[in-house]
Amino acid sequence: ENTTAPTTMVAKASTGSEASKSITAWEALFIHLISMLGLALALWMAHSVYSIDLISDPSGTLFQLWVMETPILVLLYSRYRQNPQQCSYLKAVGRGILALPVGALLNALGAIALGAPVGIQYLKKTINWSLMMSLLTTVPATSVFGSSWTNWQRVFANTRFIGSVDYMISIPAHGAVIGAWFGAWPMPLDWERPWQEWPICVSYGAIAWIPGWINCIIWICT
Amino acid sequence: MGIWWRSGSGGGGKWVYIWPMWVTMILHVLAILIFTRGFLLTRTELPYYSNCSDISESPCFSYTTPSSSSPNHSQSGTNSSDRACWTKPIVNRLVIIVLDALRFDFVAPSTFFKEPKPWMDHLQVLQKMASTNGSSARIFKAIADPPTTSLQRLKGLTTGGLPTFIDVGNSFGAPAILVQNGKRVVMMGDDTWMQLFPQHFEKSYPYPSFNVKDLHTVDNGCIDHLLPSLYEGDWDVLISHFLGVDHAGHIFGVDSTPMIEKLKQYNLILEKVIKALESQSGPGGLHENTFLVVMGDHGQTLNGDHGGGSAEEVETSMFAMTFKKPPSSIPSELDSSSCGLDLDGKNLCVSSIQQLDFAVTMSALLGIPFPLGSIGRVNPELYALGSGSWNLEGSQIENDQKQSELEKWMENYVNVLCVNSWQVKRYIDIYSASSVVGFSNEDLLHISSIYAQAEENWSNSTKILLLDRNRGNSTLMPVLKRQVDAYLNFIATVAELARSKWTEFDLRMMGIGISIMLISFIFQIIAIKWVDKQYSISVPSPGDSAIFSGSMFTYFVVAMRACSFLSNSYILEEGKVANFLLATTGVVKLRYSIMKGKMLLEGVMFLFLSTFCRFAIEVGLSKQSATSAFMKEFTSGILNIVSGLPLWMYITEVVPMLIMILLAYLLYKATARSSIEGLWKCVILGSILSYMLIAVHWASESNVLGLALPFEGFGRNYIPRIIYVVTLGQLFLLAFGQLFSGENPVDWNKSLVTKTVAMVSAWSSTAILLSGKQGPMVALASTIGAYCILRLDNIEEDAKNKTGGSLRISPFPVMQWSLLAVCLFFSTGHWCAFDGLRYGAAFIGFDEFILVRQAILLTIDTFGFSIIIPTFGLPFLALYRYFSCRDNRGKNLLFMQLSQAYTMYGLITASTVTFTIICVTIQRRHLMVWGLFAPKFVFDAVGLILTDIFICLASLYYFG
Repeated sequence: ENTTAPTTMVAKASTGSEASKSITAWEALFIHLISMLGLALALWMAHSVYSIDLISDPSGTLFQLWVMETPILVLLYSRYRQNPQQCSYLKAVGRGILALPVGALLNALGAIALGAPVGIQYLKKTINWSLMMSLLTTVPATSVFGSSWTNWQRVFANTRFIGSVDYMISIPAHGAVIGAWFGAWPMPLDWERPWQEWPICVSYGAIAWIPGWINCIIWICT
Repeated sequence: MGIWWRSGSGGGGKWVYIWPMWVTMILHVLAILIFTRGFLLTRTELPYYSNCSDISESPCFSYTTPSSSSPNHSQSGTNSSDRACWTKPIVNRLVIIVLDALRFDFVAPSTFFKEPKPWMDHLQVLQKMASTNGSSARIFKAIADPPTTSLQRLKGLTTGGLPTFIDVGNSFGAPAILVQNGKRVVMMGDDTWMQLFPQHFEKSYPYPSFNVKDLHTVDNGCIDHLLPSLYEGDWDVLISHFLGVDHAGHIFGVDSTPMIEKLKQYNLILEKVIKALESQSGPGGLHENTFLVVMGDHGQTLNGDHGGGSAEEVETSMFAMTFKKPPSSIPSELDSSSCGLDLDGKNLCVSSIQQLDFAVTMSALLGIPFPLGSIGRVNPELYALGSGSWNLEGSQIENDQKQSELEKWMENYVNVLCVNSWQVKRYIDIYSASSVVGFSNEDLLHISSIYAQAEENWSNSTKILLLDRNRGNSTLMPVLKRQVDAYLNFIATVAELARSKWTEFDLRMMGIGISIMLISFIFQIIAIKWVDKQYSISVPSPGDSAIFSGSMFTYFVVAMRACSFLSNSYILEEGKVANFLLATTGVVKLRYSIMKGKMLLEGVMFLFLSTFCRFAIEVGLSKQSATSAFMKEFTSGILNIVSGLPLWMYITEVVPMLIMILLAYLLYKATARSSIEGLWKCVILGSILSYMLIAVHWASESNVLGLALPFEGFGRNYIPRIIYVVTLGQLFLLAFGQLFSGENPVDWNKSLVTKTVAMVSAWSSTAILLSGKQGPMVALASTIGAYCILRLDNIEEDAKNKTGGSLRISPFPVMQWSLLAVCLFFSTGHWCAFDGLRYGAAFIGFDEFILVRQAILLTIDTFGFSIIIPTFGLPFLALYRYFSCRDNRGKNLLFMQLSQAYTMYGLITASTVTFTIICVTIQRRHLMVWGLFAPKFVFDAVGLILTDIFICLASLYYFG
């Protein structure tokens, strides 16, 4: 499906809009390394400066994560915005930041439909977790595509990728969601470990995919 | 096409389509029956109990001394102690202090164990008494029979019987016998006692036991009433049940500060109790002849768990103390104690006792009839402790008299054992005569021969020797010892046999059951594949990769759900797991509909529906888990605040009625649109009428609306009854129509729609009524859910516009259908345990209890929305797909799809049940087997059989 079908669809999908800027595998690797470094830095800072981690203070750590990672991802991905002529870099950055709460709302609704606990004591955790998920899923896509429905549909639902940027948007996003989904499985077990609390293992599941970002490079190369 | 095809198009050929379902049903019933026989331990509780006068049937000496009642025993209500009874009362008053989950090492000194642990040696008063008072106080290691849960253990302690999963009938335990024999029982503490013996206590101070987080309420209640009661004379038996140690274990574990604090607190209380008893134990005092027992009902693991059969859980301790001087020793053959030095270097002996023996030993000491169902023996050491007052009147003991004193004790003990053996034999005889699942003939013969031997010995030698005391004493002791051995041997054989019959699983039967289940599983898969093959002959369907990946995902989800039953945690949270999977399928479908760019609304609606289900399930779960006291307080707090507002009252009263009217309107629209006529129309109009009646019924019940209906009081029972009658009439009409409408409809498709709508609507009114005010909401939710599933399933067809759309039933919507049904089960406030049944629903419209009628209503309430309606509604799935293709292949194709849809639905249900069965087999020794796995198994098995039955009924009905 990936080899023949997309090529025919490429023409159809990309007719109205200008194709996004294509990037090389090295550049993709570079971007991923920077964003991973950002995450690692955020985790490290949380651990050594504020001496918190996901287990002891999930909402604080998640807050640390998305606050530090948002500028990195938005600034990086906005460089690869579509229609760079009509859309300035600043606009791309702006819409990326705007996508953060909107995506968070979607993620939170999804999580609640799947059974995330609701209540005052979980409010802070859920907000921070969904902001982090939004950062991993919607923010890069919004920076690149804006509100172009066809592109969103193409990348997230049809998974028909045109440029390497599409891979870099879609694969980490899918990975984060699927990782978080699997991360929820240990939650009902009666092991009574602190990490079984919402949203710790779900966050672990989402973050666990991050080394898998390297896969994008392989996808792009092949 | 071949022969099969032709026979299918012939008249009366519906069996061609439906035989796999019937075969599956037979296989399932067989598998479940065989497995259940091996797994569920059942024992019939006999409706008889022991009476004082029964002793005349036994060969033993009965006790008759009308004059021997001691002065402080001559209180009111002791008239019964004046007549002949089983054994001589030795103890007048009994104080039983139950410390829940008392581990053996809480009581025994740490010197008895490899290394001292922080939780040991805190009940020092018991150790001190056992070491200094020598033979008048003793520590026992009491061994319980699993399951080690409080309710089962209390039953075991009071009846002396072995626990089983299903006790058919009522239990006539010791408290009942005590009451019959004029003993007055006072109870304080754990309210589990009140569940077991609701009206047997003279006075009771029950405290709720469910709140595990509360360490003190029950204990403080006990303390408040225990010490004052010790200075009162208006009771004969006092039971005080402390729960703190159990709760501390559950929350903090054994090695924790709260646990140690609890133990220290108990030490202080026990010190006071012993002091109070001792101070009144002088001649003529209240407690001259009182026996104190401090015991655990079961042990606990270091994590505070109990329920299973591990050594830590079954080994609990018992401390018994008398305030009179006991006999100096008992024959060494009967002494099981092991002695060691305690912390102060004093000698301390610890004996061992089966918990089973407690009930008879206490009965023997109190001189009341032994519980009928007891298979325990009178424990010599515990009995000896109590029998201190035995024949000691005034006589000073000299050395050579010691021998005769021991002899006298033995004489008495032999007679007690004689009564004991006779009672056990009688129980076995009565039990095997009246129970279906009795013992095998060889076993009975074996028991009888041992008993006959012991009995012969008794009648021919011992009894004569005892009667003829004047002969030389030298031969008496060995004879007595031999007799005791014979009796103990008999009782031990019976107990061993009973354990193997009542508490052991029949692995062979279970294996056969599982194998049949697996065979039926494979059969269903083959049946589906077989129908698939027929398709490929009849309709060349394009191999669609989307369908393929859809079915892969389906297998994954079904397998995931099935495997989740291997863990007790997931079974506990089954509703949430089902909803998680339902929402996941919703997300996948939403993504798919985004891909296709349409039916977004349905996709989003389905997700919102699953969110609604999720909250409904959570409300249900909060009712279930007694431990989540917080949630309870939280919700009830909110409800309290809100329910004060009149607006809220109106909303809760009015909204269900409005939804009811909406449902009636929807049904009306459906009939009007599709021009249903004749008999079917009658049936559907009947449902609409029922809906309106339900709304009227609720309106007449509500006190908020203040509708003074003309038939107030009349409506409470009569409207529900009218609805039941209407439902019965509808079902009768449908069956009638099925039997006698001979003509072949022109449009099979339309006829099937009509039939399905009629059938579902006929069942729905009763289901809604029984579900109560949540019913309309659930009905609306299931309608919306079904609609979304159908619409989303047909994205593909609409896209391809009736050309080559796949006619094959995709497993994905069938799985969604099944998951939705499971979610509805949990969102209607049910869960897989017997306390999850909504007993109130069985009494809607009826006040008195008639087993069959109420059982049917309860079944409809429990499985109405989760089995009956989904099964009868399943044709929609085949129909909707079929609408796109109207050609001459009509009937055959339609029925083939329908048959496949039903087989798939059955397969999905069977897959989860198969895993449940495998799981209970693996976990049969798990500590939660009786608390969690067995009820889950029963619910699943009943659900599976019901699903099969309804599938078969539906197949008869729909494949006309």
